[in-house]
Amino acid sequence: MKSVPKLIRRFVGIMLLTSLLLIILNFALLGIYTFNQASNSSPWITAQEVADDLSKNENGYVLSEDMALEIQNINVWAIFIDNTTMKVVWQTDHLPETVPMSYTISDIASLTRGYIDGYPTFTGEAENGLVVLGYPKESFWKHMWPSWDYNSIANLPKTVLSVLAINIALIFIIYVIANSKLLKSVKPILGGIQALSTNEDVHLREKGLLSELAANINKTSDILQTQSGQLRKRETARANWIAGVSHDIRTPLSMVMGYAGQLESDVQLSEDNRGKAAVIVRQSKRMRNLINDLNLASKLEYNMQPLSLERQNLIAIVRQVVVDFINMNIDEKYTIEWEIDEEFTSCTANIDKDLLGRAISNLIQNSMNHNEQGCHIFVRVIAENAVCTVVVADDGIGATDEQIEKLNNTPHYMVCDEKTTEQRHGLGLLIVKQIIFAHSGKMLIKHSEYGGFEVDLSLPIII
Amino acid sequence: MNYDYLKQKRILLVDDEQELLSLVVSILNEDGFQNIKTAKTVSEAITVSETYQPELAILDVMLPDGNGFDLMERLKKTADYPVLFLTARGEDDDKFRGFGLGADDYMVKPFLPKELLFRVNAILRRSYKTENPLVKLHDSEIDFARAEIIKNGEHILLTAKEHDILAALYRNAGRIVTIDALCEAAWGDNPFGYENSLMAHIRRIREKIEANPSQPVSLITMKGLGYKLVVEDK
Repeated sequence: MKSVPKLIRRFVGIMLLTSLLLIILNFALLGIYTFNQASNSSPWITAQEVADDLSKNENGYVLSEDMALEIQNINVWAIFIDNTTMKVVWQTDHLPETVPMSYTISDIASLTRGYIDGYPTFTGEAENGLVVLGYPKESFWKHMWPSWDYNSIANLPKTVLSVLAINIALIFIIYVIANSKLLKSVKPILGGIQALSTNEDVHLREKGLLSELAANINKTSDILQTQSGQLRKRETARANWIAGVSHDIRTPLSMVMGYAGQLESDVQLSEDNRGKAAVIVRQSKRMRNLINDLNLASKLEYNMQPLSLERQNLIAIVRQVVVDFINMNIDEKYTIEWEIDEEFTSCTANIDKDLLGRAISNLIQNSMNHNEQGCHIFVRVIAENAVCTVVVADDGIGATDEQIEKLNNTPHYMVCDEKTTEQRHGLGLLIVKQIIFAHSGKMLIKHSEYGGFEVDLSLPIII
Repeated sequence: MNYDYLKQKRILLVDDEQELLSLVVSILNEDGFQNIKTAKTVSEAITVSETYQPELAILDVMLPDGNGFDLMERLKKTADYPVLFLTARGEDDDKFRGFGLGADDYMVKPFLPKELLFRVNAILRRSYKTENPLVKLHDSEIDFARAEIIKNGEHILLTAKEHDILAALYRNAGRIVTIDALCEAAWGDNPFGYENSLMAHIRRIREKIEANPSQPVSLITMKGLGYKLVVEDK
């Protein structure tokens, strides 16, 4: 929903820019129009030119031929009113009959501002009188009373700016009112789309401007919910199947394990037969571990293993796992070195204690399983850059670069979505990876500094 | 310490699989337990318990005519004795339910005979203590009931914390107990930052139980990990 204010800001920006551009465009058009109109101001110039051109000789006043032709071409008549007699002392040939031949001062004032019998008139000042040009009717509109209050003119820039500001404000208010309705109907749609991305169940009201869109979102949500429900059902069935099988195997395996365990410690049996019983016990244990691993791996894979994350001291958990191994009286060919400084006593993270303990336990067991000749196992915890890392390393046979690359980057056959006949490794490391991912952590497999195998588990520290 | 008296305890074993019943009876017999009765259903278990009055019940969860959890509740109504669940149901929820109802332990099948015996004996030891159990160490004895140490005929009192720490060590005698578990035993659920206090208490306990505290033989330090209590007859 962060995009809504961004959207509003963008719309307002575009609206303000548009208004500004419109104003500039209007001024520009006005300028061009005014410039084009400028040529229409020539009647006054023409009138003055005629006045200047008019000369007096012994037969009276005469106009040069060029000027006479020019005004004739534009269908303009002209008269010359004498200053002393106030009578027309010269005129062009085609003077309309309705034009008076003598004038009073008030007539002069009137014709200067306006018209003579509907002909727009323009004056030019000559030496002894006034030249008056009469243009065709309705060729010009004249402003008869061109006067403004001085203050109005002085305040004109301010007035123009105020008007502009009021206009912009008005446009803005109209825009906000008009768009708030749109935004109101867009908001639930945006919320719905966002909820769809997190696979939430969405049901929008199918009313208003965008009802069709809302209906489509509802439909999409229904489809997604059905699909994820089916997927979940399938995953649950698969996990339940594994859980069921592993449950059903437990009781018969108890019998195998229990009787084999008794035979193993039966002193009346020969050493050879007790050895055979020991093999049955060992293999039964492997089967038990496999059942447990398979069950946990499938639950973690299908998110069916409940996580109880709590603030825990990682060092205490790792220490308990190491102590459990030592207390189990593991074979002497394996030693576990605790490499944590005694001063470093606490490193807290959100942890499911049992699951993480299981992960570390798997790593130690992994070192033992892959080093039958024995090895030293080194366990330490490092805190760096808000990350706490558990390192389980050994000095055993280790792995090749290729194997390590595969372990780090190739999905386990159990969670691989492609057909595979390759069984790269047991479930132990897969479970570790699943557990650490469920804790938002990282797992890194590498060569250990002691020449063997090393696995680093990193978790974000909480303070 | 002699625990032979525990072998006389009456055990009720409930499971619907005859072969498993036979196996468990055989394991318990071999370890010296003689008083064992079995039942294959809830109703049979109730009938047996009325006359037999068991002192420990080992119950399966899934039974033909009900479940082990309900059975435990009904059994415990008549007498309060320890219960161990032995079941193929290994889900956390099942375990929590069992413990929540007051079970003393919960074992998931398949199991090793040794593991079953270890747990049965541990439950019985916890539930049926002798009057005044003295724990023998190399140079002294611990009397948990009186919270004191007897060394060279002298009675030395234990503080509450020392008692808690020693009790936690004794429950796991011969095994390492982590620093964190000891802190939790002494200071409760949130035992962060008590490591130095624990060291001080350990030092004082050694002064009380060891002949030469600077070279301990009963309370051993496992560097960085925890401590181990070495008991003479365990």
